Amino acid sequence: MSENNEKKVHGVVAEYTSVDTLLNACRRVRDAGYEKTDAFTPFPVHGIDKALGIKPTVLPWIVLGAGVTGTVTALVMQIWMNSIDYPYIISGKPFLSLPAFMPVAFELTVLFASFGAFFGMWALNGLPKFSNPIFTDPRFDRVTDDRFFLYIDAKDGQFDRGGVEKLLGDTETDYVQTVVDDDSSDKVPKPFFMMWGLVVGLSVIPLLVVLKMRVSHSSQPRFHVFYDMDFSPAKDAQQYSTLFRDGRAMRPDVPGTVARGEEQANLNYMTGIDMEALTAIDPSRAERLVRRLNPYFQSEVESAQEPNTDTEKSSTDEPSQGDPEKNPAAAGDTGPEKAKASQADASDTAPAAAKPSVMETTPWLDSNPLVLNEKVLADGRKNFGIYCSVCHGMNGSGNGLVNVRAQKIMSPDWIQPSSLHQETLYADKYPAGKLFSTISNGIRKMPGYAGQIKTRDRWAIVAYVRALQLSRNASIEQFKDIDEPEQAKILKEQADAKKALQEKADADAKAAKKALQEKADADAKAAKEKTDADAAKASS
Amino acid sequence: MSEHNAPAPKSSDDPAFTLPASLAALRLPLCVGGLIVMLFGWWLASDIGDHGDNFGMSVYLTAAVYCMTIVLGCLFFVLIQHLVRAGWSIVVRRIAELVMVMVIPMGILFIPVLASLWTGEGTLYSWDNPEYAIEHGLPLDVWQEKLRWLNQGWFTVRTIGYFAVWSALALFFFKNSVRQDKTGEKAITDKMQYWSGPAVMLFSLTTTFAAFDWVMSLAPMWFSTMFGVYLFAGSILGAHCLLAVVSYVLQKQGALRDEVTVEHYHDLGKLIFGFVFFWTYISFSQFLLIWYGNIPEETEWFYVRQIGSWGYVALALIFFHWMLPFAGTMSRHVRRRPGLVCAWGAYLLIMHYVDVYFMIMPTVEDGNVGGVMGVVASILCVVGMAGLLSGLCLGLAQQNKVVAVRDPRLGESVAFENF
Repeated sequence: MSENNEKKVHGVVAEYTSVDTLLNACRRVRDAGYEKTDAFTPFPVHGIDKALGIKPTVLPWIVLGAGVTGTVTALVMQIWMNSIDYPYIISGKPFLSLPAFMPVAFELTVLFASFGAFFGMWALNGLPKFSNPIFTDPRFDRVTDDRFFLYIDAKDGQFDRGGVEKLLGDTETDYVQTVVDDDSSDKVPKPFFMMWGLVVGLSVIPLLVVLKMRVSHSSQPRFHVFYDMDFSPAKDAQQYSTLFRDGRAMRPDVPGTVARGEEQANLNYMTGIDMEALTAIDPSRAERLVRRLNPYFQSEVESAQEPNTDTEKSSTDEPSQGDPEKNPAAAGDTGPEKAKASQADASDTAPAAAKPSVMETTPWLDSNPLVLNEKVLADGRKNFGIYCSVCHGMNGSGNGLVNVRAQKIMSPDWIQPSSLHQETLYADKYPAGKLFSTISNGIRKMPGYAGQIKTRDRWAIVAYVRALQLSRNASIEQFKDIDEPEQAKILKEQADAKKALQEKADADAKAAKKALQEKADADAKAAKEKTDADAAKASS
Repeated sequence: MSEHNAPAPKSSDDPAFTLPASLAALRLPLCVGGLIVMLFGWWLASDIGDHGDNFGMSVYLTAAVYCMTIVLGCLFFVLIQHLVRAGWSIVVRRIAELVMVMVIPMGILFIPVLASLWTGEGTLYSWDNPEYAIEHGLPLDVWQEKLRWLNQGWFTVRTIGYFAVWSALALFFFKNSVRQDKTGEKAITDKMQYWSGPAVMLFSLTTTFAAFDWVMSLAPMWFSTMFGVYLFAGSILGAHCLLAVVSYVLQKQGALRDEVTVEHYHDLGKLIFGFVFFWTYISFSQFLLIWYGNIPEETEWFYVRQIGSWGYVALALIFFHWMLPFAGTMSRHVRRRPGLVCAWGAYLLIMHYVDVYFMIMPTVEDGNVGGVMGVVASILCVVGMAGLLSGLCLGLAQQNKVVAVRDPRLGESVAFENF
């Protein structure tokens, strides 16, 4: 016992043989005012918290806080991700649809609450703790078997070794022992460091492999970890599929349905044509347009066309749409009328372009039905950039990337895209409705975009094209916030620029003319030489 | 569980184990008054709107299903205690046993529901109306398939079958438990534990199909495989609430003062808390799948319950059947105060009625909600029926003990402590 005096004292422990003696001792210790105490038993003992005066734990509050944090985290995360940062429609639900967020909120609540309970318990118990000085006493081993121990910590405010030993000695115990530092080294064992070093060393390997792959080259084909992620089995447009009877991978619109956002009943808006005026001029064409746009009629027509194709010709013969001379009343009149129609079929590969007469007589809408504002123009610009600029160029001059490429490879059947800045496409000669119709149905090589761009966005493109056209013809007076001296300055700059351009163009033209002249001279010379040579040959 | 501080058990004829006289005196007033109030409420409801018969029968069915769910919840409570060999619950098990025997009077109270099938055409269940499919433009081939299950004869046979199974289960467990009061044999406990497994299987099958038949078939073209569990979730919640309320009332009147302790209220409170969330989990799962799938034939049921004033009832269920009691019963400090556990139990019994009302009443023809008068009639009807059943239950309790006095583990239950 004498050497114990030199070592650090951690506390005093007493041994009991039954729950009752332990509880009695606990109560005495509690009543004596000790707070940093602990009891050790082989099994849970009811009422020991009360006997020792242990205050209720704050763990439930930690769990509650963690759980609420989990709920809030899940909701904020999902609302931010799906409704704000990257608005994305999933399964036709609104961007912010709380019911869909509930499962994740539930799971994160449970997860955070469990973490709160687990790690909160660790923190409150001072874990992880690899050793406790109380284990130095070999008698303490029986705590897992049939003995009960009561411990008073030296950190307690009123701890006094003699007093505590006397207090515990007075209880029903025959063993009181002071807990002191044990003799073993407090150094962390070497194998622990070795294992730790090994784990750290091994964990670097994947990183090194990745780094090596990033900087080296290999002649082997790439290794596909997830083959179907690198080569998606999904079908692209125009591909064949055996899944459906018609062999098409892309599904056509279901008859009798309207795409979301395309439910407008306004025919003028859908066609770009003043339908009432058209009905007065060409009722059969108006009827065909209505049937094509209205899914209700569409399915009706499809079911009706089976038995009497001939008599229903006017409603089913789509290509004859561009035939202005066709008499709508002569639907039953087959013979020559039909021949004519089939003739029209054959020649009508580009209906809009090939029949200028109908394009001129059609009562196009003169103005854009959309309310023009910054948003519409921004949408028009966006869609123009996506769909139109590849051919027509970002500035509408008709020199987009596809055109550049086609010129470069000298594609034989390429038709140069129109410059949108030619006067024939200005609003006075090319009404808004006609422009809309061209975008929707196509012209010459240009396909129709009705299937790809929503009606509203096609009108937005019309608005943007007008803005592009205006950009080359704007007069300075239209800019009200530029004052007079600045106007003069800008006008001078413009004049200078125009003059320089003109001079350059003149010089270019001159050079081209000269080059042409030289080439012609050279050709003539060559031809002359050839004739001379031939003549010489002939004479010899 | 440590039994070192168990008090000496009282003798089995201790007055604390019998029904207090103050409650016994209520038997007759409750029976007669309950019957009158129930019939008055029903009569009042039958006079509302153009389809009064339909409204009245719906009100009656709401009351019957409400009482039935609580009775069945008590039956399940008894079965599950035997199945898991629970020791803590023995002091409150007899209360559940007394309530579960009420399944027999419930069988009689269900006669009007069956009678409505045979006397009128579609008075209560619209599938009973031969014109229903044509009036609602339903595909007739599908309708024919439905009618193979939903027809008067087969429906009646099934309903009688359910009651036969439940009555047999209730009587078996009640009689054995009462017999043990006299003999104290441990073999009886073993026997009940042995049969509790098959009994739970029978119970789950019958309650699921009963929920399909009695409640789900009110909207005959609608279906949800979760519906049985949905009704059961409210049912088992209601049973635990009733146990807390009845224990508290019995203790106030002088019975079981030393037997039912804070520890038992704590456990009942935990189960109430858990089953509040179980109900939410099940009902939200049912809603989420249907809402997400968004198929017209499935969304119909919720659509009807989201428009007009039913939308407010649906929101009220979210806030007052889940959030409020969930937060309210979360704390250990609440659950260790018997008065508060009893108060939350009573509150949830009311909310359970709102839930049953929400299941049944929106299917009333023409969306007739009956206004204030309809609500008053509904409340009278259910209060009357509950009063009648309470009176009968008190009568049964008076002839028996209010606790399983010679259960071999009664001492363990009394000494039960939570950590």
